[in-house]
Amino acid sequence: MTMTKDMAALNDWYVVGISADVRPAAPRCTRLLGQDILVTRKDDGTVAVTLEGGDEDGRAARAEEHYGFIWTTFGAPNRGIFPLAEAFEPDRRVVTCGTVDVGASGLRLVENFLDMAHFPFVHTDILGALDKPEVEQYQAEIRADVDEVWATNCRFWQPLAAAASKGGQMSHYVYRVVTPFNVLLYKTCPEAPDRFDVIALFSQPVEADRSIAYPLMVVVDSISTDEDIVMFQQKIFLQDRIILENQRPRTLPLDPRAEIPTRADLSSVAYRRWLKTKALRYGSYEYEEA
Amino acid sequence: MAIILYNHDLLADAYKVRLLLSLLGMDFERRTVGILPGKGNDAPHYREINPAGTVPMLVEGDIVLTRPEAMLVHIAERHDKGGRWLPADPVARAHVFEWLAFAAGELTATEAARLQAMFGLAPSFADAFAVARTAFRLIEGHLVRRSLDGLTFIAADYPTIADIAIFPAVALAADIGIGMEEFPRLLIWARQIHALPGFVTMPGVREVI
Ligand SMILES: [Fe+2]
Repeated sequence: MTMTKDMAALNDWYVVGISADVRPAAPRCTRLLGQDILVTRKDDGTVAVTLEGGDEDGRAARAEEHYGFIWTTFGAPNRGIFPLAEAFEPDRRVVTCGTVDVGASGLRLVENFLDMAHFPFVHTDILGALDKPEVEQYQAEIRADVDEVWATNCRFWQPLAAAASKGGQMSHYVYRVVTPFNVLLYKTCPEAPDRFDVIALFSQPVEADRSIAYPLMVVVDSISTDEDIVMFQQKIFLQDRIILENQRPRTLPLDPRAEIPTRADLSSVAYRRWLKTKALRYGSYEYEEA
Repeated sequence: MAIILYNHDLLADAYKVRLLLSLLGMDFERRTVGILPGKGNDAPHYREINPAGTVPMLVEGDIVLTRPEAMLVHIAERHDKGGRWLPADPVARAHVFEWLAFAAGELTATEAARLQAMFGLAPSFADAFAVARTAFRLIEGHLVRRSLDGLTFIAADYPTIADIAIFPAVALAADIGIGMEEFPRLLIWARQIHALPGFVTMPGVREVI
């Protein structure tokens, strides 16, 4: 396995580990974009990412820590890690929810995360109800000023919207794709209906059709334990994982004719269009190893 | 005396115990052990009662059980008034024990393969996927032979804890990429388990098959 030559993929930031899990005595061997790497924490507390094997064996890659994760890049991103103001609010819980390996492209993970239509069928009686499957009209757009994809005015009836839920609620959602492999959403917080919980899904593209998923919860919740919050998110993601593992192809077709869009797919259509303008190919069906 | 189950919702071994308790309509207290992620099973108070640190763990009064098949035997013996889940009939009972040993033996490869595929945990088998597939073939073959005698379930002509011990591995096969089209008898059998009153699922087990 060798590092991809896809420049759009190389010039971006990726999560490669959970900060708390990487300690001086516990380095992490993993792979990003086909390149084996070693993630280490030095005795002074800083982290380092080193390429292992390949043409650039031993090269140090940039490493930063944000929102409980270690981020790296092999190239020269034209921007820093995206801002997430909620993570700094004093009454927020910022809970990393472990890792899950998935045999699918990271782009597939983002596309699944953006899709509301599957809630009643995949997350039955949690994020959706079989008797209320309708996706209402919403808006999706590419925001050129911040170079992100947003979907707004999304509404969905949810029997159990969060770990702290006491009953059903009409959840309002805003989706935000911050990089091709990283996505977050804002949704009505059961405990404080005027505020939004933030749920992120960061994916580490190990190879073009294999990923490590890192869910993150940034929530207002004074009741649930960390274990409850993690368990809620893990259960939901493992339901998604079954779908993701069974999709063919494992990579994401960018050609709009490959899969027929429905009204619910507006955000997916905007996302694919955005990937094309970026000339990103890694993880797409159209990608070919150079 | 109430049953306390030290539980994790994502483990097949914990699911088989929850499933039997639910089929028996029993209340129990569940305490989540923070693992996947986390090392809640390494906490001193947990290791004190369960030195091996395994999850699940069942506590009922003075009884502490750390092996899921032993939990199934104990629950059936003490709480199944009808005496069907662990039959008294020596032939059916012998078959139940045979298949419980199978569930605690090579069938554990399926959970090892699953935890490897989902969480990158190192399996204790050289090739857990291959062992899992062989184990599935053994159950399929057994069920085919049973079906020739007009029987559906593993050890008796009704469901027993042998079925419950085996069911989670089969129901979670999709997690390790094993499709049921290879195992038609297993699918028919799994549908019968789904249809039992009190049946519950876990993440990864479909509501409808
Ligand atoms: Fe989902």
